[in-house]
Amino acid sequence: MGDSILDMYLYETNTLLEQLDGILLTAEQADTFSEDSVNEIFRIMHTIKGSSAMMEFSSLMTVAHRIEDMFFIVREKGMDVVPEQTKPELFDMLFQAVDFFRGEIEKVENGDPLSQSIDHIVNKINSLIDKIQGNPAAPAANASAPAENASAPAAAEASAPAISAVNQDYPFGIHVFFDEGSGMENLRAFMLVNSVKDYCGDFITYPDNVETDPSTSDIIADQGFLLWFRTAEERDNATHAMNGAGSVREYQPVDAARPAPAPTQAPKDETPAPAAQAPKAEAPAAKPAPAPAPAAGQQHAKESLISVNLSKLDQLLAVVSEIVITESMVTASPDLKGLRLDNFTKSARDLRKLTDDLQDVSMSLRMVPVSGTFQKMNRIVRDMSKKLGKRAKLTLIGEDTEVDKTIVDAIGDPIMHIVRNSMDHGLEEKESDRVAAGKDPVGEVILAARHTGSEVIIEIKDDGQGVDLQAVLNKAIRQGLAQQDHEYSQKEILNFLMMPGFSTNTEVTEYSGRGVGMDVVKKNVADVGGTVSITSEWGKGMTTTLKIPLTMAIMDGMEVSVGGSMFTIPINSIQSSLKVAAKDVIHDPARGEMVKIRDNFYPIIRAKELFQMDKGYENIEDGILMWVESGEHSYCLFVDELLGEQQIVVKPLPNYVNSFGVKNYGITGCSILGDGSISIILDVINVYTAAHNIF
Amino acid sequence: MAQMLQSEEVLFATESDVDDYNDQLPEIATEKYLIFSSDGLMYGIKAEQVKDIITDYTITYLPRVPDYVRGVINLRGQIIPVVDIRLRLGKPEQDNFCGIVVDVDGSMVGILVDMVEQMVDVPLDSILPVPTSTSQAMVSGMCTLHDGNTMLELDCGLLLHD
Repeated sequence: MGDSILDMYLYETNTLLEQLDGILLTAEQADTFSEDSVNEIFRIMHTIKGSSAMMEFSSLMTVAHRIEDMFFIVREKGMDVVPEQTKPELFDMLFQAVDFFRGEIEKVENGDPLSQSIDHIVNKINSLIDKIQGNPAAPAANASAPAENASAPAAAEASAPAISAVNQDYPFGIHVFFDEGSGMENLRAFMLVNSVKDYCGDFITYPDNVETDPSTSDIIADQGFLLWFRTAEERDNATHAMNGAGSVREYQPVDAARPAPAPTQAPKDETPAPAAQAPKAEAPAAKPAPAPAPAAGQQHAKESLISVNLSKLDQLLAVVSEIVITESMVTASPDLKGLRLDNFTKSARDLRKLTDDLQDVSMSLRMVPVSGTFQKMNRIVRDMSKKLGKRAKLTLIGEDTEVDKTIVDAIGDPIMHIVRNSMDHGLEEKESDRVAAGKDPVGEVILAARHTGSEVIIEIKDDGQGVDLQAVLNKAIRQGLAQQDHEYSQKEILNFLMMPGFSTNTEVTEYSGRGVGMDVVKKNVADVGGTVSITSEWGKGMTTTLKIPLTMAIMDGMEVSVGGSMFTIPINSIQSSLKVAAKDVIHDPARGEMVKIRDNFYPIIRAKELFQMDKGYENIEDGILMWVESGEHSYCLFVDELLGEQQIVVKPLPNYVNSFGVKNYGITGCSILGDGSISIILDVINVYTAAHNIF
Repeated sequence: MAQMLQSEEVLFATESDVDDYNDQLPEIATEKYLIFSSDGLMYGIKAEQVKDIITDYTITYLPRVPDYVRGVINLRGQIIPVVDIRLRLGKPEQDNFCGIVVDVDGSMVGILVDMVEQMVDVPLDSILPVPTSTSQAMVSGMCTLHDGNTMLELDCGLLLHD
């Protein structure tokens, strides 16, 4: 699982960098950024920042964060805020930043340690921000605040390894950092020391008297905890202990500046030297924390995913389905009738098996379970619950739901943003608040996916405090999105959350804020034809629902025929099928038909009449009733024959056909069956509504 | 170059036309048209719009659409609607399964016709506007072909959207 996350990260970041390069090149030619490209860069940086933070690649995160800050200002104030003479510098810096990102990504791919000294690039960005901000009279208040936030981790990163080796006999060190705010760092260090003792006995620590001196706690929290070993081998052994130890955020091997045999010079002269450069130059492999893969496994980090143009996949699917049809035309050719061809028959059988396999594989190419996307959220919830000090668990429902690749691509970011929002703003700040509200102190975020007949529905639900409607409205009014003296419904107020530039949190954090999230969510989901809706109950939590039409999903369907045409009814809306005698059908005064099943009456809808077909059975005893149910509607659909269950790939109807409003008659899509014929997929609810409007 | 064009033209022009046709050849821009017949009239569609010519396809009936939409076909895995041009133009129905698949603004549509005739090069300046008084809908221009027939230029966009 760890590998697949890394793969996704590499793939995603590489794609974003490519996109960024393109934007920059166009922008440099035009010598300015269009509003769109400013927004786009801002979003790219936001995504890189977020996913790098998740992967704990702090150098990437810090730089992305600073650039995001800068473009936040540009986005707010417009491109004019950049002085003319600074523009070339700005472009240079951005290209350098892209190169820097590329370099870091390459290091990640090769399993090399990431750069520690990012000061030069961060300084450059800072000086640019100063120049930009020096221009207008009043610098944005909330823009400068995050600036300080961001530089803090950068500074910490640079100065952290300032602790030096204290004893020349123990040159091989491990620099351990505990989770921020975990508290009682000295005792944690002591427990770590104890577990390291299981692996090797001879080592020293800095600070050394952790179990007795509580004041060391601050030192450790600030500068990390150092363990020094005699040999590299012992140190490697000790890393096993690190893996098992709780609340270890990060650790990395450090070597004393000078190789072990120190002949003449006094240790005292040597030791203060290894400052900031030491780990960069000599650390053999500063591993990015909790999952240190063995050296041999590092190659694995290379991308094992390739991106294929979806149109090529479609082409492949089309060719494959033709092969399947042609194969059956060849093997069932009338010319072969009456001939005894043992070898031919055998080969034909093999060919059929192979073409079947081929079809299965190519069908599955586009379909992916949502579990990959869902699993990613585990990590986010875990990290954020540590960072924010909120305990929370993630519950996944229906993660094996398969959806088309385009949908998975489109919903990854939105789900991440929503989960972050839930963690950050949704769940209560303090556990005591939850307890006071009679809730489990541990918050819960539920991610659920399911198919209905025509849509994939993804729900992200939290049991936090819900949305403070008044606060949202006030904010919307401040932002100029809402009018002061207008009554807004709850739904309208919740919709403000999804407007560009809206964020209820005034503080910008690493994970969310600035309202870049929800409008990205809306945009991405709308790109695949879906909708986003938010419901919330004050005190009980909020639910964000993504509804995405099945552009191409695999579904279990029941094939039925009416007047020579084939129709597919989604299996999950079928209750049962039944044959009835004419005397069982009850008529109402309006000549409607009903049938009684298990003490309830259900209306009968004749597909032949609804669809105005020429052929098809009239007599109720000839055909068969399909008892279907969806939502609150339950009825019987009268069809000619039941053909059998089949797994089908849902294809949308051509737009031209949809323009006639066939959806209102319950025709949602179609599917190509194994023999090349087309079956029409019915949507049980709309069939009912249509029948009601007509008759 | 002129020589080559000339020899190509011969393929599509009747012999009697060749002589006077040659005179006007050099400067005139031409466009290839696919000619088909429907209910005794000759129609032309720009060849670049034509994606395929289909015969003998099973058309799947589609309920609740106008009768001129005969249904959908499966063309190599793509679902394509089929419009019967006779019914679209209010002519009597006739069983024919010769169709032309055209690309109209990015979406593919099949058009059922009586018979696909030939491909011709039509000089652009010979396409004349349709007199507004005629009730021939969906025709955006007309032109006289070398064999004396009149080609009606079909506007596929109008065919789909009124």
